[in-house]
Amino acid sequence: MANPVVELENVRREYLVGDQVTVALDGVDLVIERGEFVAIVGPSGSGKSTMMNLIGCLDRPSSGVVKIASDPTSELNDNQLTSLRSKAIGFVFQQFQLLPNTTAIENVMAPLLYQGVSSKQAKLTATEILNRLGLGERLNFDRNRLSGGQQQRVAIARALVASPDIVLADEPTGALDSKTGAQVIDLLKELNKEGRTIILITHDLEIAASAPRRVFLRDGLIERDERGAK
Amino acid sequence: MKLLGTARLALNRIWATKVRSLLTMLGVVIGVAAIVALTSIVDGASQGINKSLATLGTNQLNITAMAPDALSEQDAYALADLDGVSVMFVQTQNEGTIATEDKRVNARLVGVSAEYFEAVKPDIALGSYLSDSKFASSAKDVVFGADAANDLGLTASMLGQSVKLNGQDFRLVGVLDDQAGFGTSGRVYVTLDSARKLFSQYPYVSSIVVQAETPEAVDALQLATDKLLRERYGLGTETDARYTITNQASLIAAVSSITDTLGLLLTGIAGISLVVGGIGIMNIMLVSVRERTREIGVRRAIGAKQSNILTQFLIEAIVLSLAGGVVGLILGEIAAYFLAIIGDWVFSIQLETVLLALGFSLVVGVVFGVWPARTAAKLEPIDALRFE
Repeated sequence: MANPVVELENVRREYLVGDQVTVALDGVDLVIERGEFVAIVGPSGSGKSTMMNLIGCLDRPSSGVVKIASDPTSELNDNQLTSLRSKAIGFVFQQFQLLPNTTAIENVMAPLLYQGVSSKQAKLTATEILNRLGLGERLNFDRNRLSGGQQQRVAIARALVASPDIVLADEPTGALDSKTGAQVIDLLKELNKEGRTIILITHDLEIAASAPRRVFLRDGLIERDERGAK
Repeated sequence: MKLLGTARLALNRIWATKVRSLLTMLGVVIGVAAIVALTSIVDGASQGINKSLATLGTNQLNITAMAPDALSEQDAYALADLDGVSVMFVQTQNEGTIATEDKRVNARLVGVSAEYFEAVKPDIALGSYLSDSKFASSAKDVVFGADAANDLGLTASMLGQSVKLNGQDFRLVGVLDDQAGFGTSGRVYVTLDSARKLFSQYPYVSSIVVQAETPEAVDALQLATDKLLRERYGLGTETDARYTITNQASLIAAVSSITDTLGLLLTGIAGISLVVGGIGIMNIMLVSVRERTREIGVRRAIGAKQSNILTQFLIEAIVLSLAGGVVGLILGEIAAYFLAIIGDWVFSIQLETVLLALGFSLVVGVVFGVWPARTAAKLEPIDALRFE
């Protein structure tokens, strides 16, 4: 029984650089079901960042249809796109991107506060998630007092806190040593087992191999779509 | 996000960059402090002038002769019979010399009718007025203005002693206080009788003052006075340079309008520094937006709407400006307090000054915060996230 959470139909995205049209995605079709763990893999310039922006509701296609949680994004204005993003997507970035001058718990509360949740409720939910990710002792630490691995766990907590349809992780291990990186991947796998949809964007084949489904991009097109353990 | 939460973000940021925030505020601090201090100087100065003028009485009319033989004592008696006149006094004056045994200086000798002190009530430093002199009540008593007394080096011990006016012996009965009133300080007062002998101008007088029973009756009395004098001298309705009638109330109004204009001018100049302060805030906010591009991108990615970003930056600019306004207000009032001591006027914190200072700094924050805040809100999330 299909329950697609990401649907790309003949998606094309081109950019105007100077007076030169650059095609980043050249008519791509892709469906990701709820509960999947998918790696989107490709070298730089393959179109994977563009795909991440489209799935992340940060951008709209030049042509074709992008549906996130069944909502087509093309016709949405900035506010509507922001609402969809806030509801459907949890971002994990390569450089963690914790907010400056902000404690761990304030970072995790932020998405809820932007949704209009009360500060009290947001604090409860954020504390719960940070406890689960083993950061209960560091709720009030700011990013300068957290290690890279801890920062990335805070970022994952922030991505999860609003219970999004998709966790979108952009090179989440890129700034970590391999041991800490592996722990982050394990955490993502665990979250996937609990039923969360995880989309991992990476150029690293080894990291990609940890995902049960791997979509390889090259020159704006899907080169192959592999399933099953490797 | 609720407004309160957004305000907290703005405050956190200001607190996290304390030194920069303080420096950013400085322009507004100086601008507001200058406005507050200058406003208080103008208020204090006009307070002082009005007080001096008020000692002459706001319900008085001064009729000044424009020639030595233009007005006479008889005119004064006729004016005293007009309806609504409560006090009338006459002054006659001339340059002369005043001398003690070892000193001799020039002064303005003023002969006044008995009602003068009753009407003007100048503050007295030593002794008494002419009318209630406790020394021999001969016509040859004299009261010195403060400057005239200083010029001759008069002291309390000389009360009742003899001083010479134009070579004639007079008895010193009083010295007026320095602050006794507008223009009293350099004068020497004798009775009208004595003045007649000193200057031999009789029956001519240099000015007549009539006082209306109430300040409201002054204008009507002015018309009646003019009519009477024109009749007495057979003048038509054309303007005549024989005498001028000055209304104290209109003099005060004229001075007030001058000080108001001066105040406006000074406030305007101080206002320029406030505008410069606002531009300083705008400049730093624009730098701040650029530095925080990635933060803005992350906030957009995790669900901040354009309006959230706009509000956050706008509140930051307003708080900076308003805090600058509060500090400037406090510094300005402290400056005003010391200026009041130096200038010897009454210090008071005016509600309108407080509201003006806070209102101006609020407006500066909004006006100069909007552009940076819009710039921040309009950033594309993708570009902002990718910004190095």
